[in-house]
Amino acid sequence: MLGGSRAQESPYFVTYTHHMEEPGSLDVETWSTLGVPRSGQRSFFAPYVEFEYGVTGRWTSELYLEGQSTAGADATFTGWRWENRFRPCAREHKINPVLYLEYEGINEASRIEKEIVGNAGASAESVAELSQTHAHELETKLILSSTVHDWNVAENFIIEKNLSHQEGIEFGYSLGSYRPLASLASGTNCRWCRENFTVGGELYGGLGSTNGFGLHDTAHYLAPVVAWQISDNATVRFSSAFGLTRGSYPVLLRFGYSYEIRGFGSKVASLFRGKP
Amino acid sequence: MTHSTSWRSTLLALLITLVLSCLILAENTSYESDPGWKAPANAAARANPLAGRSPAAAGGRKLFLRECVECHGQDARGLEKKHSADLLLPAVQAQSDGSLFWKITNGNPDRGMPSFSKLPELQRWQLVLYIRTLKFPGVGHE
Repeated sequence: MLGGSRAQESPYFVTYTHHMEEPGSLDVETWSTLGVPRSGQRSFFAPYVEFEYGVTGRWTSELYLEGQSTAGADATFTGWRWENRFRPCAREHKINPVLYLEYEGINEASRIEKEIVGNAGASAESVAELSQTHAHELETKLILSSTVHDWNVAENFIIEKNLSHQEGIEFGYSLGSYRPLASLASGTNCRWCRENFTVGGELYGGLGSTNGFGLHDTAHYLAPVVAWQISDNATVRFSSAFGLTRGSYPVLLRFGYSYEIRGFGSKVASLFRGKP
Repeated sequence: MTHSTSWRSTLLALLITLVLSCLILAENTSYESDPGWKAPANAAARANPLAGRSPAAAGGRKLFLRECVECHGQDARGLEKKHSADLLLPAVQAQSDGSLFWKITNGNPDRGMPSFSKLPELQRWQLVLYIRTLKFPGVGHE
């Protein structure tokens, strides 16, 4: 049987919690970021696809493929990312750490804004020119996450290094909190029950780099988030992130849809073994 | 072949190898019961705040069908291919509510049992409530 569900799916778009993908499960997710511009800027639409797989109970691996389209320019493929999260502690603690390591083979036209690091700076180059500038980046995060009654509280600290160019090491952060609208599960199968909704907020932004650490000329966003489990194995999310500084886009509208295939690993492995 | 192309091919091969390894690793074919997987005394002593609220068990059943069937089966007897526990066994039913709650909360990730701390606390207690309703066939199964 394919399917299953991920109750109480995190509504976050940027912040990570300590909850890992279940072993052998594959999450196929599509995400989009729509940038609403200031005057003089161009709006952009940046979709990406994510394949998230639970390798073990303490190791989750994800592959991203991303693109973007800027108003007045052609759509372009902006690269791929390979992300791994490791949970060192087997048990739940008051604060649960997770180590995050990601390799990014992207180009400078990338606009998915999956994390905000370093300083803000709009480029005057066209999308076509930006897409010709490739970047190999390494990103690490320290994820700290807690469960406080029905609330999740998470803090992410980000360090990113562009391996392709002589740039400093960039820093960023993300903070988030969410909770389900209902603590008890009803006995009926319902889609509009409060228990199927989680709501919360995120705050994220850049912290400069080794060339200049701090809040000067950085982008920051405050984002209400909501997730709705629309079926036993599908969830939609929405967020409207409001820019807090001049270096931010005024609004980033984000939309996500995820579909979980449980037991994916077992089924693929059985194909190789010839078992039913 | 340029240096760049060679580098990309190597990375792609590495990625494919890793993905296939991941699929095999996730099989967890070596599972055996873990004698070291025990709730601390204070956790085992916790009482179910939903005790006596039998209607809440219906919600627990719904959660069980969503979250647990994949490994423990529709009848909660465990699945051989998953090496998962039969939840009707006395070894399970003899455990305290607090102990079952602790195991659902923490999981045993090194043995294939995920943590369900993402569920609200009361929903985890609902699962415990439902597990208590499970009986061997012919012994007053609901």
